[in-house]
Amino acid sequence: MRNTAKRYVRLYKVLIGQFFKVVLQSKVDFLMGLFGFFLSQFMGIAFLYLVFEQIPSLQGWTLDQLIFIYGFAQIPRGIDHLLTDNIWMVAWRIVLNGNFDRYMLRPMNIFFQVISEKLQPDALGELLVGSILVIRCLMKGIVVVDGIHIVLFFVSILAGAVIYTAIKLFFASLAFWLKISGPFLQVAYEMANFAKYPTEIYAKGIRFIITWIIPFAFVAYLPASYFLGVGGAFGFGGNGGVVAIECIIAAVFWIVAYALFQKGTSIYESAGN
Amino acid sequence: MIEVKHVSKEFVSPKKYPGLKGAVKGLFSNEKVVKKAVDDISFSIADGEIVGYIGSNGAGKSTTIKMMTGILKPTQGQCLINGIDPSRARKDNAQNIGVVFGQRTQLWWDLPLSESFTILKEVYNVSDEEYEERMKFLNEVLGLPEFFSSPVRTLSLGQRMRADLGAALLHNPKVLYLDEPTIGLDLVVKDNIRKAIKIINEKYQTTVILTTHDIGDIEELCSRIIIIDEGKKIYDGSLEELKDTYGTRRKVSMEVKKQEKLKGLNLAEKLGASHEECRMEFDEENKILSVTFDKHKLQVPQVMNAVMEVTEVKDIQIQETELAEIVKEIYNHGIDGKAV
Repeated sequence: MRNTAKRYVRLYKVLIGQFFKVVLQSKVDFLMGLFGFFLSQFMGIAFLYLVFEQIPSLQGWTLDQLIFIYGFAQIPRGIDHLLTDNIWMVAWRIVLNGNFDRYMLRPMNIFFQVISEKLQPDALGELLVGSILVIRCLMKGIVVVDGIHIVLFFVSILAGAVIYTAIKLFFASLAFWLKISGPFLQVAYEMANFAKYPTEIYAKGIRFIITWIIPFAFVAYLPASYFLGVGGAFGFGGNGGVVAIECIIAAVFWIVAYALFQKGTSIYESAGN
Repeated sequence: MIEVKHVSKEFVSPKKYPGLKGAVKGLFSNEKVVKKAVDDISFSIADGEIVGYIGSNGAGKSTTIKMMTGILKPTQGQCLINGIDPSRARKDNAQNIGVVFGQRTQLWWDLPLSESFTILKEVYNVSDEEYEERMKFLNEVLGLPEFFSSPVRTLSLGQRMRADLGAALLHNPKVLYLDEPTIGLDLVVKDNIRKAIKIINEKYQTTVILTTHDIGDIEELCSRIIIIDEGKKIYDGSLEELKDTYGTRRKVSMEVKKQEKLKGLNLAEKLGASHEECRMEFDEENKILSVTFDKHKLQVPQVMNAVMEVTEVKDIQIQETELAEIVKEIYNHGIDGKAV
C-alpha cells in the first residue's frame, strides 16, 4: 500500500514534469492564459464593488463579508481546477476519438492517468486572488480565528475541492454512454458560480438545487459564513457542523462519481480505425 | 499462452433513421441496433508464436485485439493472457503486454523521443540495469539513436513506427500486439520493421499477434494465420496449408505467334474439364494467352500441348496463385465457396 503510494507520487512527478516541459516550449501561451485569468478575476471583484457602491449591504451581508465569501469560494475551485482540469477532455474528446485507449493499456490507475496529464496554470489566478481576498478579510478582523476554525478552514477547502472534482468526474463519465458529455458538465460546473454569493439572494428553486442537488453552496457560501461567525441559510453555518456535512457530501459524491467512472471504463467502446 | 474462449462483442447503438425527419423520430424512439463485431471466436496461441490475424476492414480484427489487450470488455466469453483476464486485472495484464497501433502513436507527441522512454521506464517500473540492456538491444535492432533526441511530431512515419515498436518493448513484454504495424511504410522500412520483429521474437520468445492488410507481412513473419470475416473465425492454420488447400489454381501465360489460330479453341472442352476448372483469357495487344486451371485436374504440359497444337508459342510463364489472391477470394466468398 505504502509502496503503491510512493510509486504514484514518483509517477506523478515524472508525468507532470513532462507536461511542464511541453508548456514551457510555448511560454507565450502560458503567460497569456495566466494574464487572462487574472483579468477575469479582477473583473469579478470590480463588479462586486460597483454593485455595493449602490447597495451597501445585501440581505444583511456587508461588502467585506461578501468579499470573503467570494474569495473563499475561489480556493477549492482553484485547487480542483489546477489538478484535475484534464477531466474536461474526457467529457469532450478523449472518449469520442478513442484516445482513451492509451489509458487502458498502461499499468496505472486510469483516473490517475487522466489527471496527471495536465496541470492548469490558469488556476493560479483563482488561487492567488482567493488567497489575497481571504488575507485581506483576516486583516480587517471580520473572520473568526481560533484553533478549530483554522483546522476546519483547511478541511473545508480540501472537501470543497473533492466535491468539485467529483461533480466534474460524474458528468464527464457520462461520455462513456453519450460519447460527448461536455455540455452537461459545462452546465453543472457553471452552477458553482452561484455559490460565490449568499444563496439567500436567489429564488427558492435555485437555492435548493445548489444546496442539495449540485451542492456548491456547501463548497463556498455555507462554510464561509461559518468562518465569518454568521448563521447562513437553513440554519447552517452557525457551527462547525456545516464542515462535517461538507465532508460527508464530499465522500458520498466522490464514491458515486468514481463508481460511475469505473462503470464507464468497463463499457468503453473505443473508436474504429 | 493465450487462450481466447468463445469471445463475442456486441455494440449497441440507438437506431437511426434517414433525413431530418428521421433524426427527430430517432430522438423519441427507443429502438436499438445490435451489431455483433466479434461472434464466438476461440483460439489459443503458444508462447513464442507469431500469428497473423487477418480479415477485411470491419471484420472484427481490431475489436478482438482490443479485448485481448483490455481496452474492451467482451460481451460474452473470456480471454486469458498467460492466465490473466484483462477485463478483470487490467493493470496486471498491461504490465505484461506491449501494443503498437499503426495508426495511433503511444508516444508523447510534443517531446523528444528520449523523454517518452524516460516516462515509460517509470510507468513499467523498469530497473536501471534492465533499461540499459534493453536500450542497447533496441538501439541495435531499430536504429533509434539517429532520432532519439528529436520531438516525436517531427519523426517520419517509418521512424515513428520504429520508435513505437521500441517503446512497446521497453519492459520486455511476453506478448506483443501489432495492429497494422507496416501501414503506409515504404518497402525498405517495411522490411526493416519485419526483420526487427523477427529478431525480437527469436531472442526473447515474445509472442506476436499481428493484424495486417499487407500479405508481405504474413509471408515473411507468420507461421500461422487466423482469418476472420464478419466477426467469425473462418480459418486457423499454417500458411502452407492455406496455400495447399485453397491455392489450387495455376496460371500459364503464353505469348503466341498467330492469334487468329486461337479462334474457336476451347481448352476446357478439349481437355475434358469444366469451364470453372480451366479458364482462358486473351490479351490481344501483347498476344498473350493466359490459362488459369485447377492443378489437381490438369497438368501444365497438357495445357501447353493443347495450345501448341494450334499455334506456335514464343514464351511461357507459369505462376502459382499468390496468397493475396487466395485471401481476396476468401474475403469475397467466405471459406465455403471454394472457388479459389
